[in-house]
Amino acid sequence: MSGEVVLEVDFVSRSFGALTALSKVDFTVRGGQVFSVIGPNGAGKSTLFNVISGLHAPTSGRVRFRGGDLTGLTPEAISRLGIAKTFQITNVFPKISAFENVRVAAQSRARVSGRLSSLWRSPDVEREVMELLSAFGLESRRDELAENLSHGEQRYLEICLALATDPTLLLLDEPTAGMTPGETKAATTLIRRIAGDRGLTLLLIEHDMSVVMGISDRIAVLHFGEKIAEGAPDEIRNDPAVIEAYLGGAED
Amino acid sequence: MSSAPRTLPWGAPAAFAALALLPLAPFMSKYYLLLAFDALVFGAIAMSLDLLMGYTGLVSFGHAAFYGLGAYAAAVLLERGVLSLWACLGFALVVVGVYAFVVAYFATTRRGIYFALLTLIFAEVVYTFFRYTQTFGGSDGIQGLPEAMLLPGVPIDTPIKKYYLVLAYLIFGYVVCRLVVASHFGRVLVAIRENEDRARFLGYNVPRYKMGACMISALLTGLGGALYAIRASYATPDLMLWTESGEFIISVMIGGLGTLAGPIVGGVFFTLLRDKVSSYVDWYFIVIGLVLVAIVLFMPRGLVGLRSAFRLRT
Repeated sequence: MSGEVVLEVDFVSRSFGALTALSKVDFTVRGGQVFSVIGPNGAGKSTLFNVISGLHAPTSGRVRFRGGDLTGLTPEAISRLGIAKTFQITNVFPKISAFENVRVAAQSRARVSGRLSSLWRSPDVEREVMELLSAFGLESRRDELAENLSHGEQRYLEICLALATDPTLLLLDEPTAGMTPGETKAATTLIRRIAGDRGLTLLLIEHDMSVVMGISDRIAVLHFGEKIAEGAPDEIRNDPAVIEAYLGGAED
Repeated sequence: MSSAPRTLPWGAPAAFAALALLPLAPFMSKYYLLLAFDALVFGAIAMSLDLLMGYTGLVSFGHAAFYGLGAYAAAVLLERGVLSLWACLGFALVVVGVYAFVVAYFATTRRGIYFALLTLIFAEVVYTFFRYTQTFGGSDGIQGLPEAMLLPGVPIDTPIKKYYLVLAYLIFGYVVCRLVVASHFGRVLVAIRENEDRARFLGYNVPRYKMGACMISALLTGLGGALYAIRASYATPDLMLWTESGEFIISVMIGGLGTLAGPIVGGVFFTLLRDKVSSYVDWYFIVIGLVLVAIVLFMPRGLVGLRSAFRLRT
């Protein structure tokens, strides 16, 4: 499916009362791409993710996933179509083990899930769960409660949960938030590699430009809810409007 | 841990065996047998409430309505000469099931305090109907019921038979709850308790799971109510009073949230404490209150504790 259109964000606007958080944002993500959306804080990046993942309906415009319209679908329905999301603020199940966290995510794709038979059948997903934990170096932490993991481990667990739902498109909301520069570099490399291995399409939100430049195929820049630039990393780096937004307009 | 076959903890069969031998104890008079009945019904209901409170993170303030409706369902049949235990239990399941479906449908769309309030309001409507209309005997309820029959010609007419009946119910309820908790369904309930939004983003239809949990809990509670009517030979609106719901919640809390076994212990403890203290003093609720405050302060994890609840042993 590489190269075909996976996600179309079609002139999406979203207002909260008088505040316009997104204004006619328009871009297309193709299969296998790493597509990043960057912008200063408050640019509307998280709102964009919330619209795509179904938390907010767009005020106008459409979001299409592999040709099907997502507008008006609930987060659980969108998840089932194959879009997974990680959260900027770690959002795991704190008082169950790392293994149980990933297992409950993986089981959401099992056939019995949501049926009466889930009362007496427990789908066996142990192998997939352990593979995911190992990929992120968490296999020795499997029985630790999620809340006792380090910040970096929780960030990885967060990604494990999303990957366990076997998505086509993975939305990553600042996956390296709160990591040291060293951890950030390791994490981005790891994410890129795992996405490549699994043939995933990635849509990544970042406010830190240095994170996305190395791993993105294509970048869109949001500023005050509008897309001010889109292109390959090199084009974005030298775009005067982007430089202005980051250096000149960052404080307002 | 995860791939181990589902086994009941060894403590449970031992405890049930001890309960089965209890009537042999020399001090077990008729009075104590019936007190033991009440204690075990209370414990079983607290356990089924724990499925909601401890595992799903929902506090129901309306379990008294499930309890009372179960009792009235059995009473209505017994009053009309339908004496089969199984018919009484089946009818209680139908009545409680229909009511619980309506309550759960509306209540599970709301979270936290709103869920608690909706269950309370529904239960108060039911209470008011039974208490203030004469449809089912008003404040007197339905009195003087005949003994139910286990099989045609086998009446459940002695305290010891009633005791074993409630023990069978308790064991049945415990096995059901254990299986639910260990199942995929039960794990999703815990995930919902831990982080409802994340469960949605993993693709789980959260209201549906909550409804399932409510139905299982309500049906088990309704069975307890039917058995109570059979044991006491009456059903009164007091069974549906909101204080009854509060006592179920207290039993879960003092026994230990999210442990199943804990709330059984809590329900038994609460029933025995109330019986003992009230036989000495009129102001027994002050004494009970002090004991409960002490438990909450000094044993915040309840009589049984959180030992394994959050570890989700299989």
